[in-house]
Amino acid sequence: MKAAGNWRPRVAAVAASAFALLGGPAFAFDWPLAPPRIAATFGTYAKGRVVAGIALSGEDDLVRSAEDGEPSFSLEEGANPSGLPTPLGSFIVVEHQKGLAAVYSHLAPATLSTDTKFKSGDVLGKSGRSGWIEGPGILFQVFDRRSGSWVNPLLVLPQLAVDKPPVIRSLTLSHADKVYVLGETASFPQGTYAVSVDVLDPADSAWTPGPLAPYGIRLSVDGDEVANLAFDVAKGKGGRLMLSSVSPTAADELKTKDGRYNLAVRLFPRGRTTIEVRVEDAAGNKRSASWSALVE
Amino acid sequence: MEETGKRRLNVAATVAAGIVYFLVCAFPLQKELVLVPGWTRSLLQAPAAPAASSKKSGSAQGSVSTSPLPFRLGGSFGYFTPEGSILFAGTAPYGVALAPDGYAAYDRLSESFTIQSPDGSTLARVASVGYPFFAAGRRFVIAPDQATVSELSKNGAIAWTYQLGSVATCFDASPSVAAFGLIDGRIVGLGTSGSVLLDFAPGGSHIPGVYGVAVSPDGLLVAAITGLDRQRLVVMEKRSSAYRVAYHRYLASDYRRPVNMAFTEDGSRLAYESPSGVGVYDRASRSETVIAVPAASSLGLTTMGGRLMVLLSGNGEERRLVCAALPDRRVVDLGLKAQLAFVETRGDSLYLGIDQDIVRMDLVER
Repeated sequence: MKAAGNWRPRVAAVAASAFALLGGPAFAFDWPLAPPRIAATFGTYAKGRVVAGIALSGEDDLVRSAEDGEPSFSLEEGANPSGLPTPLGSFIVVEHQKGLAAVYSHLAPATLSTDTKFKSGDVLGKSGRSGWIEGPGILFQVFDRRSGSWVNPLLVLPQLAVDKPPVIRSLTLSHADKVYVLGETASFPQGTYAVSVDVLDPADSAWTPGPLAPYGIRLSVDGDEVANLAFDVAKGKGGRLMLSSVSPTAADELKTKDGRYNLAVRLFPRGRTTIEVRVEDAAGNKRSASWSALVE
Repeated sequence: MEETGKRRLNVAATVAAGIVYFLVCAFPLQKELVLVPGWTRSLLQAPAAPAASSKKSGSAQGSVSTSPLPFRLGGSFGYFTPEGSILFAGTAPYGVALAPDGYAAYDRLSESFTIQSPDGSTLARVASVGYPFFAAGRRFVIAPDQATVSELSKNGAIAWTYQLGSVATCFDASPSVAAFGLIDGRIVGLGTSGSVLLDFAPGGSHIPGVYGVAVSPDGLLVAAITGLDRQRLVVMEKRSSAYRVAYHRYLASDYRRPVNMAFTEDGSRLAYESPSGVGVYDRASRSETVIAVPAASSLGLTTMGGRLMVLLSGNGEERRLVCAALPDRRVVDLGLKAQLAFVETRGDSLYLGIDQDIVRMDLVER
């Protein structure tokens, strides 16, 4: 591995595309649960689903409106007359400014506010563990009504004060039943391979639903960028959830069965090749790694 | 113990009062229809588990004389037969999906569950993360994101999965279409193979959203309460292969929670919750009437043979059982005190759950 160069401007460009979707400045919201302890980041893959929001841990803490707003929907756990179960538990949807609707889920039952207007910081309820959530806390999601997309809440929340960079565990090339883990092997036969990487963002929470997704993953082969996966937005399309504004990826194809991110399918001709992976979290912490191998 | 005794006495008195009411005060619904009391059964004397719960597999119909009715009363659920046999009254670890032909109890962090027949025999084992729910003879699972739904085949395998794109707020199904209301204001109707039959955002309101949805039994009508500022009723009708708006009206309501709405069994009318009572939309005339009942924090809604609308409304312990001859003539209005209550109908019989008792009443011609 080697140290990364400064590629913050590229990440900023990715973020800017998301900000463009929002049509306004970033960091417009305040933390709904403070101090923020991230239990799941946007794009975290857990139990067969991708988290299209962030999970914050905390039990019996006050959950506050992230901005001025008006509730448009609320539901107590298990109280839907239509018979539809409520995996989000007790939750409330608040219409904030610029067409953003925030969903505050898994609140403690019977704590939902019945007010019809909220100022930023007003109490919406208490954090709990109602519905399908692995630990005590809330799921906070931001829906951009204008684009019909989920937006990574970290794009509109104050920047996290964390300094732990993401972790890159391994890079794997696979074709049918052949699997080559770079670093463990110095060479592999020429051919077309699926490139996948095992990365994660360190958690600052007592519980997580699974390895946390970073904010962005980039893959370069011999200097050419071949994949750019940004965890900025997610949108339903054709019955599937598509992630990333830069290179939309179906959420159900995001990871391999053993938990690595699918990045690209690439032909590797004979000769020496260099593969580089660069990863950044939402706070700007970054890490990169590169591997050189002989293609036979 | 003394409190329990008092409670039992109250329930008994309420049931007795109800029976006396129906015997003494029952009056013709039109000229020939009367509600008469049938049986009363206590859930306290029912088995806590189905008879065949230890069986590995079996038939749902083997041990009961007629198709049983499911019930849910507070934390209890189970089945009873029209003849008055309570098959069992059990509790679920977190939730339960209930249908006449089977049920699935599940945990809060459910990753798998078993579908059992009313007699407890195993119908299918399902490995799927999320919560099951059953309707119109169909079985579904909703994932933890409350935005991804799957339908199960008879053997419990995942037949199809669909990501709705935003959070589901309400649901109804017919054998041919399952409709979901979403917070983004869309109504998505999915066919039996997961194909999209309807994906429509009615609009016309300052804030989009779907607060209630109902599908007619023939699947040709889909109705919804949508939007805030202003809220409106939208009825869509399937013509050729597409659903088109057949009726819409702005409402006086401003609900920010799920709204109770349902079609009658024959699909001729739609009933929906409104501040002034229960709105009734007539499919044939495309017109509306209102059955005036007090505003309530909860509302049970069902119909009897397309002739009577049965409403069980409640605020706290105060409940009202209202029967109305369609479209809007209120013929029975009975006050009840009950912490827990449900109303269910089958054919011309009405089943009323009051705390720990189930009462049957029959609609007869005289």
